[in-house]
Formats: sequence, structure tokens, C-alpha cells
Amino acid sequence: MHRRTFLKLSSIGTAAFAVGCSAKGEDRLHAMVRANEDMVTGQATLYATACRECPAGCGVLAANREGRVIKLEGNPLHPVNRRALCMRGQAALQGLYHPDRLHRPRLRDGNDWREISFAQAASLLREKMTAAAATGPGRIAMVTETVGRTQMALFETVLAHYGAGSPLVFEPRAYEALKFAYAQVLGAPMLPVLHMERADLLLGFGADFLETWLSPVAYARKFKEMHRWREGRKGFFIEVSPFQSLTGANADRWVGCRPGGEAAVIMGLLRMVLAADTGRVAWRGDLAALAADYTPDAVARLTGVPEEALAAVADRLLAAERPLVLGTGAGVWGASAAAAEMAALFLNLVLDPALSLIDRGDRYRVEVADRRDTVLNAFEAMADNDTALVLLNNVNPVFALPGGDRLGDLLAHGDRFTVVFGNTMDETAARADLVVPVQNALETWDAYEATSRTITTLQPTMGRISAAPGLGDLWLDLLPIEERPATEYRQLTARTVQAAAAADTEAAWLAILQQGGRFDIEASLADAPRVDRQAVDRLRRSLDRLPAPAQDPVLLVAPSLRFLDGRTADRPWMPEIPDPVCQVAWQTVAMVHPRTLSDLGAREGDRIAIATDGGQVQVHAYSHPGVSPVGVVVPAGQGHTHMGRYARGQGVNPIALLGDGRDPLSGAPDGAAPIVRLTAAGPGKALASVSGSRFQHGRKIAVSVPLERADIPPPKSKYLDMDSFPLTLPLPEGYDPKRDFYPPHDHHTYRWAMVVDLDRCVGCSACVAACYAENSVGVVGEEQVIAGREMAWIRIERYQDEQDPTRLIFLPMLCQHCDNAPCESVCPVYAPHHSVEGLNNQIYNRCIGTRYCGQNCPYKVRRFNWFTWPFPEPLNLQLNPDVTVRSAGVMEKCSFCVQRIKTARTRAKNEKREIRDGEVVPACVQTCPTQALWFGNLMDPESTVRKMVDSPRAYQVMGYLNTKPAVIYLKKVVQAL
Amino acid sequence: MVTELFIAAAALLALVLTAVLIGTAGRPWRLFTDFGGTLRGIRANAWPLGWIAAALVLALGLLFFYFAPPGTRIGPEQPIAFSHRLHAGDKAIDCRFCHPYVERSNHPGLPAVEKCLFCHNYIIANHPEILKEHEYFDSDTPTPWVKVFEIPEHVLFNHQRHLLSGIDCAACHGEVRQMDRLQTRRLKMGFCVECHREKQATLDCWLSCHN
Repeated sequence: MHRRTFLKLSSIGTAAFAVGCSAKGEDRLHAMVRANEDMVTGQATLYATACRECPAGCGVLAANREGRVIKLEGNPLHPVNRRALCMRGQAALQGLYHPDRLHRPRLRDGNDWREISFAQAASLLREKMTAAAATGPGRIAMVTETVGRTQMALFETVLAHYGAGSPLVFEPRAYEALKFAYAQVLGAPMLPVLHMERADLLLGFGADFLETWLSPVAYARKFKEMHRWREGRKGFFIEVSPFQSLTGANADRWVGCRPGGEAAVIMGLLRMVLAADTGRVAWRGDLAALAADYTPDAVARLTGVPEEALAAVADRLLAAERPLVLGTGAGVWGASAAAAEMAALFLNLVLDPALSLIDRGDRYRVEVADRRDTVLNAFEAMADNDTALVLLNNVNPVFALPGGDRLGDLLAHGDRFTVVFGNTMDETAARADLVVPVQNALETWDAYEATSRTITTLQPTMGRISAAPGLGDLWLDLLPIEERPATEYRQLTARTVQAAAAADTEAAWLAILQQGGRFDIEASLADAPRVDRQAVDRLRRSLDRLPAPAQDPVLLVAPSLRFLDGRTADRPWMPEIPDPVCQVAWQTVAMVHPRTLSDLGAREGDRIAIATDGGQVQVHAYSHPGVSPVGVVVPAGQGHTHMGRYARGQGVNPIALLGDGRDPLSGAPDGAAPIVRLTAAGPGKALASVSGSRFQHGRKIAVSVPLERADIPPPKSKYLDMDSFPLTLPLPEGYDPKRDFYPPHDHHTYRWAMVVDLDRCVGCSACVAACYAENSVGVVGEEQVIAGREMAWIRIERYQDEQDPTRLIFLPMLCQHCDNAPCESVCPVYAPHHSVEGLNNQIYNRCIGTRYCGQNCPYKVRRFNWFTWPFPEPLNLQLNPDVTVRSAGVMEKCSFCVQRIKTARTRAKNEKREIRDGEVVPACVQTCPTQALWFGNLMDPESTVRKMVDSPRAYQVMGYLNTKPAVIYLKKVVQAL
Repeated sequence: MVTELFIAAAALLALVLTAVLIGTAGRPWRLFTDFGGTLRGIRANAWPLGWIAAALVLALGLLFFYFAPPGTRIGPEQPIAFSHRLHAGDKAIDCRFCHPYVERSNHPGLPAVEKCLFCHNYIIANHPEILKEHEYFDSDTPTPWVKVFEIPEHVLFNHQRHLLSGIDCAACHGEVRQMDRLQTRRLKMGFCVECHREKQATLDCWLSCHN
């Protein structure tokens, strides 16, 4: 190096040091132009609205801080979800703030797009509709997602004005088979609400009610209501299905059956149940005759369900007081799903002729979704007829339907004009002629009838981040002024919501808005179910058409907990949070039986090639004994070719492999396809797995206890070893001079602690997403997850039972805020610091990044920022202003949501009192659908957590290390069939 | 002001002393015995003297910025020449009129642009500074006030609790009633800790300030 170069570089360095090392952030304070009445800087204002991420329509409260929504929480008054929210609901914010969200309409210009103004888009739309209407009736076709009655009525009015028929409602999961079963057996297609919480036995055949099925948050709550240990009893849940989804993983006993064999299993059960008592009812006799062929050995031969398992299930059914049978989920052939749903309904009718657990007066809104064959036929008809204008509202059929490419060609065909109303450039929008962004559900006025007994109101929860109009207002403008039912969609919403309400005043409307809707709608009570002998005939016909259960490898496409049908794949938290069962993030994995994998000569993490008549994909393999040996399960939702930076090119889309087979009677699509070739494709990219091990290696991490011994306290142990160790509370009483090197901590008034009831945890990962939202946790991406650098402060660990690997146990793992914290004693700069209230504080500005603490933490909950993780604009608007954003080189971890503790503390001090029990609710505790997490003050003898700690099931993870964790787990209660 | 004068005077003295030393080749009494020779000596060494002067100016600048950075004395210039002395001092408007959330929230809040105009639509409505305010209001632009009191991002100061515990605004912000422009004060951790010790308030890292 030349002397001059050296001097130049060193002077640049000096200058940079002098100028660049400044902690100065924003140096301006911006005053508002007009003060917002209900906005106090530094405090959140809550707006009640609805989550529209799936048709379940949970009520949410959106927390608005300084004009932007930073967090969604379930509305405690809403009867559907009661304060809880699932992980997809938590991530709805990322749809609002998505960096690739469209902000201006786009018009196709050859192979390119031209941005136009909203006024231009609206006039172009009106022009196209008028032109299409002028050439004759029925020239406009519309397909929409499930919307509320108000929006639907408006669609119908406008379309009728332009001479077109009603819109089709397209949902990739429209529950055709279930509706068909009700129509065939009870005379009307319906999707009733189930009172699962009142059952004492649940028998499922694949319905994934903890993930996506109808209303997962509500069913998670109801399921745990019946299936939690209480006074020595616990409901029983059996699942018989071709593969273990998260729901199946929560069953007390999961029995594998061959794909397509569900109906036969149910018939076998019907035979045994009816053998006990046929009654004198004619149809029961017919049913018994029909079921006579399904002897246990025949069923075993057909479906692979062992005879003794079938007998045990039948015994349980007969012994149960209030049994409830659920049907199939996705991942079955349409025809077999229809037969299985019918048989399941008959089983319910036989066990409980009044169907008291099936509330046929209260039904889900998704009932309005059209059958798959209706939707497909409509699209296919488009090829022949002269539909001039296609309107698509927030649906992505090009991605979600098999043969989507052909569908895309249809939409883009010739002079057909396709308009998409949506906020992302997804696969369907990419084939459209005009894409009109509309307001997100969190920005708009609307009403949604999640169930017959509720109307949830939607209201703008923040100012607008784009100039996009609301969908309703856009459609109102399509009508001539004199024909408009209202000038603004907001008025229309208020009118429908207040229809038949007690008071029609402005004050009443505000009260409804404030509580998030009307939850007092009278639904007609259903008559007693009437079944006739024809219904049994229909079941016979369905069974006759039934193909034999698969003997050769079959591809099963399952809906995904994280992506549903693919619509939430672009929210970065969703791929980042690993699937709870396989613990893989970002990538799509095929779950296969270990034997299938070894037959292929492949190992876990290798890629396998799956070929069906529909095509071929290569996908990572994950070995899981909870899959039928002939099943290959690939979750849907990933493998987007469009849809923004987080979804595009990530994972694999198995839908194309299905082929567009459907059941002609029920209209249900095939969720399964025979595999023509299954081969190993060698090792690919490493698996982005966050699982350390699937077994506990005897380390006493997630502990379970048999039902019979659940209320017997474990013997007092004097020693600390891996087989017996005492519960040592993180309080002065837990100090033992023989055992402890450091003196006890002196806590002032509060010692915060959490109780995690493993018996209630279903592993749904809602807590993880809530934590990402509350604590501004960074999203690292696939490469960094592979490198082991994920940042989650709370994670769901899953362990398989060493004897029976189809028994899974889930464990939420977060910072244990130990009293004897191993991290505190190794830090050279004293960055982890024990607070007077027992929290283990991580002082970011003190941390120099040695990572000694992470190394010394036995729970592996400390996360190091290898980089400053990006929050591309406007995702940064979601960041919580009460939480420091961490940068590269700093260690971070769970803080027990100290910002919420501080808020409660401020409130208590202002009111000159102590913090009440239950006043501090961390984000994970708040959102848990099953109330598995509890938080409180361990020093208060009356607090809930203090009382729960006295449970005979209480233990601390790896308590033999004498870390004295403040997170106390209650053992899962297990029972055998 | 004293600091600045002192620094400047010291630097000037140093420069003169150096010039004399150079001009008299290290024998300063020659200034009086051989004044003409001294001047010649200075002129002959003008070049190195210039270097030294430049170095001194740099050092002066450094000292100046270190001990008396601009802005600390009279505070940074604001987009609108708002005087706290006039409003809070002479007119005795309560702090909470313009900073309404100070007793309710962590953040005191700034007055909305419209709030200024509630009065100034009537009082000196055509003053050039008020016209600026009008322009912000009419163009729907938030006034970009320059931040005066700065604490790092990883610190969360709770105004509400401090006020309700009887801490006077002036304890941290100084005698605002006597300042036209607000003067910057260095709010460093020591300042906080000292007071917390004195008042026996919590010294817990997370519970008091950081999280």
C-alpha cells in the first residue's frame, strides 16, 4: 500500500468515525394537522372489526397506535372466537402492510402493465360492463370469495342491472361432501355449528378442525373444553385417517387407514353399533342390513384398520354418553368423502337420534360457497360461450384449482376482459386485463355473518395507506345515481346490520360497532331430524360407487395450517413459523411413512419425485409414522409463481398434480391422486428444519402422565437427578444452601411466572405468530433458518413418543426466566440481568454479542441477531413502538412482554393499588385458543398461577438442572384406547 | 458565551505567541529589541506559520464543537419561530394545553397544527410566522419541528408517571418559560440514575427505562 493511499484511507476512516457513529435517529417531530379525538400518543386505541383471512370470520380488536394498526387480538365479546385468534389471523396485518401490495390499478398493455388512476379504472370498468350488457344478457360472469350478505346483495343488484346473474362463490374448500351428506340424509345442504364442547367422545375421520376446518379457533376452544383433564376425567378423541394432521396428532389414539377407506371403517362401526341395538325404526334395520357386509375382517382387509382397533373404537362409541362423529378433511377423493360424510352422519344419527350436538339452526357462512363442479363448469363454459367480461373478487383459481394454467388461458383468451379486485399480484391477477386494488378488510366498512347467530361489523381501523376505494363503494358507483341503494357503502352496512334490531338509532349503531357486531340474532330452531328409508338407499348408492381404498401410493393434498389454500402464503410470518408437526419452515415437505422412504432408498431431507397423471414435482421428504404406508402427504399453499417476494418461488404447489377429478353427485373435488411414479431424487438443499430431535432422549422436556395417575402427586424427591427432581419454585422458598451457589433473589411484591398446561396445548402456533407481531421479531428467510438462525422468542416443540411414534406431544418453549439463570452468570458485560420482579432482562445496549449466554442456556431460547433483519416498507409500520428494534450483533429473547407489564404497572400506580391478578396478559397468553398459557404473580398466594403450581401435574422442564424456571409446565394427561 | 470567548481568545493568543517565537527564532525579547527583524522573520516563515494557523483553527473548531456545540446555547432553529418564553412564560399558558397527553401517556404529545390556529386565527393572524403555520394547515402538512430533547431509541421515558409523582417539567427540560428557542440538554443515563437513586425510584433496567 502506498503511503498516500494509507493516509487517504485512514482519513476517510477518521471522518467516518466522527460522522457515522451517531445514535441519532429521526431528528424531527411531526405534529398532526388535525387532532384525532380518540387518539392519545403512546396509547393504543382499539377498533372492533372482523378477520377476513378465512371464511370463519372471527371478531378482532385492532390496536391502533399513532394512526397505524400494530396488533390484532381476538374480540373477547365475539361468540365465535372469544378473544383468541389463530396464527393466520395474527398475520392479517402483513397483508395490510405487505411491501408488494398494489397501490394503483394496473391495466394490461400487451405483455406489460400500465398504472392508471382509480378514476380511470372505475370508468373503464363501467364502460366494459355497459358494453358487455349491451350485447345481450349473461355476458358478464363473476366469481367471488365468501362475502357477507351486504356485499353479496350489492353484487347481485349491480350484476342484475347489467343483465348478469348472481356471482359464483368460489372457495377452494367448500365442504361439498359435508353439505351433500346433510342434503341426502336430512334433506337440506348445510354446514351446522357443532357443540363439540358438550361431547365426551370425539371420533374424527380427518376433519382438521384445529387447522382449517370451518372455524378452527372456535373448534380448538371447544375441543379442549371437552378434552382437558378436569376432576379426574377427560374426553376421548380418536382419529381414523390416512395421515396425521395437527388434529390427528392431538388424538388420544390415531389409527391409520388406507386413503379412501374412511367410509368402510364407518360402516364397520355402524355394523357393530347397530348389532347392539337396532331399535324398531325401519331405516335402522335397513342400515344394519347395509352394514352387514362390513365385518371387522373385511374392514381390516379393505382399509388396514386392525380388527381390535375397530372393536375398541366401537366399544368406546357405545360406552360414551354424548359421542360426536366428525367426517373427513381434505386429502380424500370426492366420491369417498361424500360416502364417508353420509356414513358419519348416519353414525351420529344412530348414536344420538336427536343430533343434540349438531346445531342445525346455526350455520357457517361458507355454506354459500358453490360446489367445485359448478365453479369448474362455469369456467369451462366460458371456453364455448361469449362471456365478454369476467369479474374476480379476491379469489385465486389459477393457483388453487388443478389445471390452473388452462384456466388462466381461458381468462386471458381473445377479447375477453378480466377484472381482478385484489391487493396482490397473484397468479390470477397476473392473467387478468385489469387489476383494481381495493381496501383491505382492516381498512373498510362491511358486515360479515360468520354464523347464523352473529353479524360482525367491519370498520376502518386506521387511515388509508393507499388511495384504493372500498370494494363496496366501488360497486355502488357502478349503478346509476338514482338506482343506488345508498350513497356510501357504510350506510348500506349500517342498514343491514340494524335491520330488525331493537333500536335503529345512531347511538345503537355506535354501540353495535363498539362491541364488534350483533351477537343476538335469532336463528330458526331446527326441527327434530327426520330420516327415511330412502336416505339409506342413497347411502347404498354412494357406497356402491365407492372405489376400493388405495393399495398403491397415493398423493394426498392437505390444506395447511399456515397457508390455508395458499391465500396467506405471502405473509412472511407464515412460512417463517415452522409447521408444528414436521417443524420445517419455508419449504414444502412431503410427509411419508418411514417404510416408504426406506423402500425408495431415500433419507429424510432428501428430495423425492412424485409423478401423477397431472404432472410431477420434486419435494423434500419428511419421514413420519403417522402417515399410511401408501400415502404421500403434501400440504397445499406454497409454490406460488407470483404473489410477492415472500411467496414467489418458495416451496412446491401440489395442486396441479391432482387433476380436476370430482364426484359427479356431491360435486366434491378430489384431494387425492394415484401416484404413477415415486422415486428418490437425491439430496437437495438442506431441510429448513428447526427441530433438534424428534425424541426427548429421556431428558424430561415434555412430560406426560397417564389419566389414572394424573391427580397423584409425584413422590417428594430429595435429590436432583433425571428421574426424580422436585418442583423448585423461583422464590426464596426454593433456595437451598446445599444446592445453590448463588444467594436467593429478593423480589419486590411481584415474581412473574407463567404456567403452561401441556394438556391444553394443541400446537397450533398462534402464540408464536402473536409474539412475532407484539415483539417485532425479525423474519430471517429460508437460508438463515437452514443455518439455524431463526429468531422466534416462543416456539412449539414437538416430540414423538419413543414407544409409539404416532403419539405426539407439543410444548411451547420460551425464555424460562430462571431464578438460577445460567445465562446471567456467564455474560462478561452483565447484559442479562435479573430484575426485582424476577424477569431475566436482556439489556440490548449493553450486549456485545459474545453469545456465551446462548451457549449456556439449556432451553436454547436466546436468539442472536446475525444481521439486522429487514422490515421492508411499509412492513415497518407494524413494528410495536413500545419495543426496541434490535440490530445486528445483539442477543435477544422473550421478555414476558415487559411492555405490557409496564403498562399494567403504570395503570396500577396511577390508581395507587397493586397489579391485579390477570391484569398482565402477554401476547402469547392473550391469543391462545385453548387457554393453555397462564401468566401472573407467583408471590401472590391468591393468584391463578400460584394455585395452578400446586397441581400434582406441575413440573419444570429439565428441573434437575436446578435452574428454577419461572415457566412451570403441567403434564399432559394421556389415555389409551 | 464565556466558553466560546475563552476558547477563541486562548487560540488567538497561541497563534500570536507562535508567530513571535518563529519571527524571533526562539528569542522572544527580540520583539522589543529588533522589531523589524522579527517582522522579516515572520514573513520568511509565512508558509509554515500558515500551516500552524490552519492546525490551530482545526483544533479550535474541535474544542468549540466539543465544549460549545452550536444549538446548545440558544437551541436549534425551528421551522416556525415559536417562543416558549412568550407562550409559557409571558402569557402563562399551561404546558398541558399544548402537550395534552403528558399526564395520560408515555408521550406528552405535540399540539396539532389546527390547535395553533385556534388562537392565531384571531391573534396576529397575518404575522409572517403565523402565515407559515397557515400554509402547513392548508397543505395538510405536519409541522416538522426539530427534536430538542433526545433520548436513544432503546429508552422509553414515561412522562405520565414522572408528572404524577410530582416531578416538575423543569427538572428535565429546564426553565422553558425563559427560553425563546428551547435549549438542548444532554439527557444521559447518569442524569436519570442519579435522580432515581435520590428519589429511591426503581433502578431496574427493564422496568424503569429499557425494554
